[in-house]
Amino acid sequence: MAQRYDAVIIGGGHNGLISAAYLARAGMKTLVLERRHVLGGAAVTEELFPGFRFSVFSYVVSLLRPEVIRELDLPAHGLDILPLDGTFTPLRKGDGPKGADGKSSGDYLWRVNDHGRTIRELRRWSKNDAEAYEDYGQLMVDMARFIKPILSIVPPDPASNDPRPLLPLGSLLRSFQKLSERQQAVFVQLMTMSASDFLDQWFETDPLKATMSASGIIGTYQGVKSPGTAYVLLHHYMGEIDGAFRAWGIPKGGTGGISNAIGSAARGLGAEIRLEAPVGRILVRDGRAIGVALADGEEILADVVLSSVDTRRTFIDLLEPGSLDPDFETEVKRFKFRGSSGKVNMALDGLPSFSALPGPGEHLRGAISISPSIDEMEQAYDDAKYGRWSRKPYIDIIIPTLVDPGMAPPGKHVMSCFVQYAPYHLDPSLGTWDDNREAFGDAVVDRISEFAPDLKSKILHRNVQTPLDIERTTGLSEGNIFQGELSLEQLFFSRPVPGWARFRTPIRDLWLCGSATHPGGGIMGANGRIAALEVLRSRGRGRGRRVA
Amino acid sequence: MTDGEMLGGPEPALPGRSTAGAGGGTGTRPWDAVIIGGGHNGLVTAAYLAKGGLRTLVLERRERVGGAADTSELGPGIRVPTLAHTVGRLRPSVHRELDLKAHGLSLVAPDVRVFAPSPDGSAVTLWADVERTADGLRHRSSIDAEGYPGFDRLVRSIGRFLDELGRSTPPDVRSPRIGDALTGLKLGRTFRGLGRDDSRTILRVLPMAIADLVAEAFETDAVRAAIAWRGVRFGSVGPWSAGTAAMLLMDSAGNDGGAAGETVYARGGPGALATALASAARAAGAEIRTGADVTAITSRDGRATGVVLGSGEEIAARAVVSGLDPKRTLVDLVDPVALGPQLGWRAGNIRTPGVVAKVNLGLRKLPILPAAGEDALRLLRGRIVVAPGIDAMERAFDASKYGGVSETPILEATIPSLADPLLVEGSKAGTHVMSVIAQYAPYALREGAWDARSADALGDAVIRTLEGVAPGIGELVTHRQVLTPLDLERDFGLTGGHPFHAESGLDQFYLWRPLLGHARYRVGGLDGLYLCGSGAHPGGGVTGGPGQNAAREILADAKKRR
Repeated sequence: MAQRYDAVIIGGGHNGLISAAYLARAGMKTLVLERRHVLGGAAVTEELFPGFRFSVFSYVVSLLRPEVIRELDLPAHGLDILPLDGTFTPLRKGDGPKGADGKSSGDYLWRVNDHGRTIRELRRWSKNDAEAYEDYGQLMVDMARFIKPILSIVPPDPASNDPRPLLPLGSLLRSFQKLSERQQAVFVQLMTMSASDFLDQWFETDPLKATMSASGIIGTYQGVKSPGTAYVLLHHYMGEIDGAFRAWGIPKGGTGGISNAIGSAARGLGAEIRLEAPVGRILVRDGRAIGVALADGEEILADVVLSSVDTRRTFIDLLEPGSLDPDFETEVKRFKFRGSSGKVNMALDGLPSFSALPGPGEHLRGAISISPSIDEMEQAYDDAKYGRWSRKPYIDIIIPTLVDPGMAPPGKHVMSCFVQYAPYHLDPSLGTWDDNREAFGDAVVDRISEFAPDLKSKILHRNVQTPLDIERTTGLSEGNIFQGELSLEQLFFSRPVPGWARFRTPIRDLWLCGSATHPGGGIMGANGRIAALEVLRSRGRGRGRRVA
Repeated sequence: MTDGEMLGGPEPALPGRSTAGAGGGTGTRPWDAVIIGGGHNGLVTAAYLAKGGLRTLVLERRERVGGAADTSELGPGIRVPTLAHTVGRLRPSVHRELDLKAHGLSLVAPDVRVFAPSPDGSAVTLWADVERTADGLRHRSSIDAEGYPGFDRLVRSIGRFLDELGRSTPPDVRSPRIGDALTGLKLGRTFRGLGRDDSRTILRVLPMAIADLVAEAFETDAVRAAIAWRGVRFGSVGPWSAGTAAMLLMDSAGNDGGAAGETVYARGGPGALATALASAARAAGAEIRTGADVTAITSRDGRATGVVLGSGEEIAARAVVSGLDPKRTLVDLVDPVALGPQLGWRAGNIRTPGVVAKVNLGLRKLPILPAAGEDALRLLRGRIVVAPGIDAMERAFDASKYGGVSETPILEATIPSLADPLLVEGSKAGTHVMSVIAQYAPYALREGAWDARSADALGDAVIRTLEGVAPGIGELVTHRQVLTPLDLERDFGLTGGHPFHAESGLDQFYLWRPLLGHARYRVGGLDGLYLCGSGAHPGGGVTGGPGQNAAREILADAKKRR
C-alpha cells in the first residue's frame, strides 16, 4: 500500500525546500525527495578534505528574496549572512596607470561598500569615472526599484486570449510610464545591450568596466560584449534596495547553511524530507500526475507533484516516453543549457599575497576578481565559443575563512574560485572533461598566480568541479548552474517553454518550481515561492493563509 | 528649375506664412520643408512631401544624389554599384505610389538568389523557387532539404508581422493617443492573427542568435552559414550574437526575400534608383540642390527654423528633415544647448560600429568558379556568398572585436554586369564588374586609423579570399576600388562608417530606434525637426521605409498647422 501525500516535491534544492515550506505552511501534507545524502542541491556545504569545509558549488548569496526570509523566519532557523565587503581587482606589472617613468608597478582597483572610499579610489584612476559612478549608481538603484516587482509576478502567455494574466503587465506599463525618459531608455538598454557597450556610456577605466561586466556573464554562455548581458548588472543593486541585506554575502557555514535553514523551516511547518531517495519516474495516469516512483520501485502517491529539477530531467528523464505532446517535447529539447562555468576549491596553508597589494588585509575579505580588462574577459569567451576552456579565464575568488573561520582548521584557509569559461561541450579534439579536469585546474592556478605569485606554495588540496562534475553531482543538465541559460529567448514568458511560463505543465498536477522557471537561477528562492503560491491558488487555498 | 521659378512655385494654402520668426534671416520666404541629404530615403520623403503640397527643398552635399544607392565609374564604360548592390528591399508601395517605373526605374531579378561556393568545389544554391532550393539541398542532407520549406515559411510569416510593424509609426509610450492605441490593436490583431504558435515563436525567435535559429532547421554547416549571413550583414555582430535572428527577419520583411533573401538589381546600377526617385520628387515639385553642404540646423525657442550651408547661406524652413544618421544630425548639426545635456548624452551614445568595407573590381573577363561548373552564367547572377561556416563567420567577427581586420573576411559579391550588361557598355568586350561587401573591417582599428596601406591590405585579403573559390581571379582584375569604413564616413557621411546609420541591434530597434522617445520621426523637444533616414524605424537597407513613414508624419503635422 503506497503512502499518500497532498504534495510531493522532487529535489531538495533551495527552491524545492521553499516550495515545501510554503505548501506545508498552508496545511498541505508535503514530502520532499532528495537524491543525495545532503540537502541543498547546488547550495551545499561539504567537507571535501578533513577539516576543510566548502561551499562546493554555489558560493555567494545575493538575491535571496527578503519576503522568503521574512515569511519563513529563516534567521530563527539559523540563517546568518555575513556581508562580503567590496571587490578587489588585482592587476599585473605593466597594467594600470603608468608612472612618471612610463612604467606601471601593477596597480589594483578596490571598491568597497563605503561609497566615499570607492569614489576616492576611482578618482585615482579617472575623475570622469568617479563622477559617472554616482550618476550610474543612482540610475541602477532606480532601475532595480522598477524591476523588482517583475521578479515576483507570474509571466502571462501573450499569445493567450485570456486577458487577465496580462493585467500585471498593465501595472508594469504604468510604472514604466512614470519613469523619466532617460530612465526608460536605460531600462531598455539593460534588457538588450551588452554589458560592455552599456558601461562604455559612463566609464573609461578598463578594470572597472571588466569587473562590473563580469556579473553580466556569470553562468551564461555569453561574453561581456554579447547583446543581452547588461541586465544582470542590476542584480548587484537589487540587494541594496532590499535594505537589511547587503548586495553580496556568504551564509555562515557555507551555502549549505541556507539550505539547512530552509529545510528546518519546512520541517517546522510540517513538511517531511527524505534524503537518498532518488526519484525514478513521475507516475502519470490519464494525463494527470498521481505521484512518483523511487528508483528502488517504491511508489508514493500525491495530489500534486512539484519538480524542482530542470526541464530535461523532469520531462525527458522522469516521464514515461510519449506522455508529452510532441510540440511541447520539441520545445523542451530546444531549451538551451550549455553550462559554461567551473569551480575550483582549494585548501590553503596560508593566505596568498597579491603583488599589486602584498600581504594580508581587508582587500582579501571581499570578492577578488581576476578581470583586468574587457578584452581579456572577451578573449576568455572566445576560447569557449569554439569548445575550449579559457586559457586565461575570468575568476571570482572568495576566501570564506576570513569572515567565517570555522570553515577550516586554525590558521588554515579555504579558497573558492568560480571560473569562466568552461564549456560543457568540449571540442572533440580535447577529449572529455575527465581528460581535462586537472589541466583546467592547473590553468586556474596559473592564472591566479599571475597576480599572486606565491599561491602555488600555499595549496594543500585542490578540488576541481568541471561542468560534467556539476552535472553528475547535482543533476544540473550540462552543468548549467541556472537550470538553463538566462538568454533573452529563455526568460519571462518563454521560460522554460513559450506559453508554459506559469509553473504549470501540460501534465495536470505536475508543476515546476525550480530555477528553470521565471525568474531564473541564483539563490533567489522566488521561483519556489511563486510556484507554491500558484499551486495553492489552483487549489483555492490562496487566501487560506495570508502570504506576502 | 531656377530659384525664380521655384519661388513662383505652387503655394499651399497655409495661413500665417509670413517669414517673421522663421529664422533664416535671408528674407526669402521659408520652405515648408528642407531635407538634409539626398540619399534614397531623403528623396522618398521629398517626393511624398511635394506630392502632399509642401514646398520642399533637398540639400545634398555630394555632386549627385543617392547616398549609398550610388553607381560609380571605375574606368571608361565600367560602372559598378558603389555601396549597396541590390535594391530588392525597396517597398513595393514606394515603387508604386511614386510611379518609379515611369521615372525610368527598371529592375532585374535573376531566379538564383544566393550562390555560396566552398573551396572544396561544392556549393549551396538558394533559388527564388523554394521547392527547387530544397531539391538542390537534398544531395547534401535530407534533413536540410526537408527543413528548408518550413524555415522559409517561418521567415515569411514573421516577416509579414515585422512588415506590419515596419509600416507603422512606433506608438508614443509617454502619452499614448487614440491613434497609438489603434496601432497597438492593429499589431495585436496581426500578432494574434499569426496563431498562438507563431506568435509565441516570434517572441522566442526575435532575440535569438541566428546560429541557433538555423541550427533548428539545418544540419549542414555550409547551408547554415549561407542562410545565416543575412543575420550579421552590416552588423558588428557574429552569428552567435543575440538578436541576429531579428536582423535576418527584418531583411525579409516587406519583400519577397523569404529564407533566401532578395537579389534584385536596378538596371544601370543602384544610382538608377536614385535618379528615378529624384525625377519623381522633381516631378512632384520638389527642388534638389547638390553640392550643398549643411553645417548647422538653426533653432529658436525649442523649434527648428532652418539650416546653414557651408557657404554661410541660411535657408529657413518650417520643417527641417534630416536624412543623415541621427548621431551626425543631433550631435554635429543641432545646437547642443537646444538639444539639452541628457538628449545630447544619449545621442552621443548611439552605437555606430561600422565593420563593413566595400571592394569594387573591374574584371578582364568573367572569373571561373569551379563550384559553379557549366551553369556559371546563371548561378553567378545571384549574390555570391563566401561564408565557409558558422564558426568561420564568428572567427571573422572575433578579429573586429579587438580592432583587427579579418584575415579571411566574409564576402557577399555580385557580378551585376551578368544580369545588366548596361553596366559595362562601352568597355572592352568580355569585361565584367564585381561588387564585394567585405566583413569584418572595423572602423576603429587597434593600430592607428585607416590609410592607403591598410586599405590595400584589405583589398588583398578580399582578393585572397576570392581566390579560394575563384582561382585566378586576381589575374583578371583591371580596376580595384577599396572603400574602408573611414571612406564610408568621409565620402558618404556615415558616422562610424555604418551603412545602416546606426547598428540594428535589439538595443536600437522599433520604439527605441534611434532613441526611445524620439522614434516617431520627430525629435522630442525640438519641434519641426524630423529624422527620415536609416537611423529611424524600421532601419537600414534600401527600403525607402523610414522616408515613407517620416513623410506621413510630417504631412500630418503640416495638416495640423493649417
